[in-house]
Amino acid sequence: MARRIMVVEDDQPILELMEILLRRLGYEPILVMNGLEALEEVKKSPPELILLDIMMTPINGWEILEKLRGEYGQKDLPVLLFTAAPMVQKEVAKLNDPALGILQKPVSFAELSAALQKFLSR
Amino acid sequence: MDRFVTIWHYRVPHTDLVRFWVIASLAISSTFVTALALAGNIDTIYPQLFYFPILYASYFFPRRGIYVAGSCAVAYEAISYYYSFPNLLGMGYATGQGIFFICIGAAVSYFTDKIRTSEARYRSIFEYSQIGIVLFDQNTFAVTLANDQFGAMLGYTAEELVKTPFSHLFFNRDEQRRFYERFGSSEEIVDFETRLATRGREPFYVNLSWSRLNGNLVSCSVIDINTRTQGKEAAEDHAARYRQVTESSPTGIVIIQNMQIIYTNPSFTTFSGYARDDLIGRELSAFVHADDITDFQGYLKQAETPPVPSGKTEFRFLTKTGETKLATLFSTTIKQGGKPALLVNIVDISEREKLKDQIEQDSERRRGVISTVAHELRTPLQPIMGYLNLLMQDPKGFGLTDETKNILDRCLQSVDRERQIINQMLEFSVLDSGKTDLDYSTFSLSALLKNIIETGGYMMKADIAIEIPLDVTFEADQNKIYVVINSMLSNAVNYSKPPRRIKIIYRSSGSDTHHRLAIQDNGVGITGTQLDAIFEPFQLADSEKLSRKYDRIGLSLSIAKKYIQMHGGYISVDSIVSVGSTFTIHIPKIRPKEVVKDGT
Repeated sequence: MARRIMVVEDDQPILELMEILLRRLGYEPILVMNGLEALEEVKKSPPELILLDIMMTPINGWEILEKLRGEYGQKDLPVLLFTAAPMVQKEVAKLNDPALGILQKPVSFAELSAALQKFLSR
Repeated sequence: MDRFVTIWHYRVPHTDLVRFWVIASLAISSTFVTALALAGNIDTIYPQLFYFPILYASYFFPRRGIYVAGSCAVAYEAISYYYSFPNLLGMGYATGQGIFFICIGAAVSYFTDKIRTSEARYRSIFEYSQIGIVLFDQNTFAVTLANDQFGAMLGYTAEELVKTPFSHLFFNRDEQRRFYERFGSSEEIVDFETRLATRGREPFYVNLSWSRLNGNLVSCSVIDINTRTQGKEAAEDHAARYRQVTESSPTGIVIIQNMQIIYTNPSFTTFSGYARDDLIGRELSAFVHADDITDFQGYLKQAETPPVPSGKTEFRFLTKTGETKLATLFSTTIKQGGKPALLVNIVDISEREKLKDQIEQDSERRRGVISTVAHELRTPLQPIMGYLNLLMQDPKGFGLTDETKNILDRCLQSVDRERQIINQMLEFSVLDSGKTDLDYSTFSLSALLKNIIETGGYMMKADIAIEIPLDVTFEADQNKIYVVINSMLSNAVNYSKPPRRIKIIYRSSGSDTHHRLAIQDNGVGITGTQLDAIFEPFQLADSEKLSRKYDRIGLSLSIAKKYIQMHGGYISVDSIVSVGSTFTIHIPKIRPKEVVKDGT
């Protein structure tokens, strides 16, 4: 059975691309367009990894992450911040979360593949 | 000039000798005439004859004249007694005459002496006084007499001034008018200060006092006060100049004495919003912001005892309108009216602070814009890059021909380059804000270099010779050094044509404080004028021509320079046009205690 990877992304073209790329890499993509939906989905059946955009409404990536790690109890669920925003490294370094990584947009197919492999094999 | 003869021990002037002879002969002849007259019963003239020697002697020798009078009285009485004896009336008359002689001698002596002394006193005042004395007519002002001192003051002889109108000696019409006013106002004037004119028409400061003598004469004493006046004038001039400087000074100036403001210049009144009268007499601390008062009073206390106060010199002031203004103070102790005072310079820096804030805000906003722009540029790149990747990953599956594959590969390269450009732009904007920290570690230089060359595929692009001892280790931020060396190599490759030869040489001896890593190429080289520019953002060596030939953007060297500066090092360049360039990275071997965050 294919590993389930959730993509939380409010940009439709990217969401569509990610679906194709993930399938190509042999994963099962779960696509959601906002944070509330994502949290709902996690509650129902948590994925094995989340690709999380940061700049979103009504709740942004950081808030989603906080809820996941906090009230949703998903402390070890790998999360890759999938963002085009600069200066994310510093914030990530502060959190000191081993299950948290960054995937800087635009990401190449090879980079995506490597990052997923790395975080799923933890 | 008197001549002298010495008689016995006394030096006797010739004049006195002559007078003595006259007196003696008059006395003797009077005695003889009296004797002859009495003997011949002629009684008309004889006692009066003695008056001549007595008066003469008494006048010329006031004190000794009494002896002559006495001698004459004795001689007269002796002769009279001889001829009138035993006639008591005649003897009584002779005695009376003798006493009268003595009285006359005494009286003449007394008055002559009086007159002589006062005359001598006046003469000495007139002739020898340091004060100029001048007598003039009160109607015509013509000088009747002047002493040498007065003449000397104005550069004349005393004689020359006689008959000159005194009023003509004033320096100008104003002084003359003031003199006439005073002269008409009172009989006696003391301490009238004015200026007379010297022979050369220079002003001469004098203090005049005059009084009217009997008749039409006015006696006037003239005191030279030039030294005093010049001193005063110089002091006034100095004060005026000083006042001018402080009054027109753009910084606020306040003088404090006994804790009170005794002077303020217009700049400080403008600064504080208070009028001068509101400030004078008050304490300066009354205008200081409540939170700063304690510090400010401490500052004033320190300022009163030099040297320069240490610690805080910036204080907030409250203006009349309630505005808070920041000012920095410089103080000096001075003498004001002979007493110690404190001169405080108040420089308004609230404008400066505002400007600083403004600049800070502006660059913050600029960085915010850059961040947003970068985000917006990157997002659409993701589908382009992703789909191209997808196609390239399985060309056969998507039915691509080799030609299509080549075209798509070029698209992918461009997308990748654009991604790099955006990343560098962002990196530079972060560096510019000084928000980047270094992550120090110790690593092997040759291992790092091997990694860079392999990752960048430089071996395929150029002939690279490496001369680096295996044991060299850097203590630095490995990722940053990676970026620096990578951009140097990338430049070396991109700015040269095949056959490309690149040399990487480590040049540093054991005693050297810096690691020195040289990267040498055989490229186009950089001209002298371009050398400074290449490290500036968005500069390309010969950008027009080269940008067409090579794919370059201008930020990599600027970033490299900043990274090395953050480590406390620098980059040097040697270049010969058409021969090649050598970029040398100099990094301290020991991590500096205080690293330069912003090398600009």
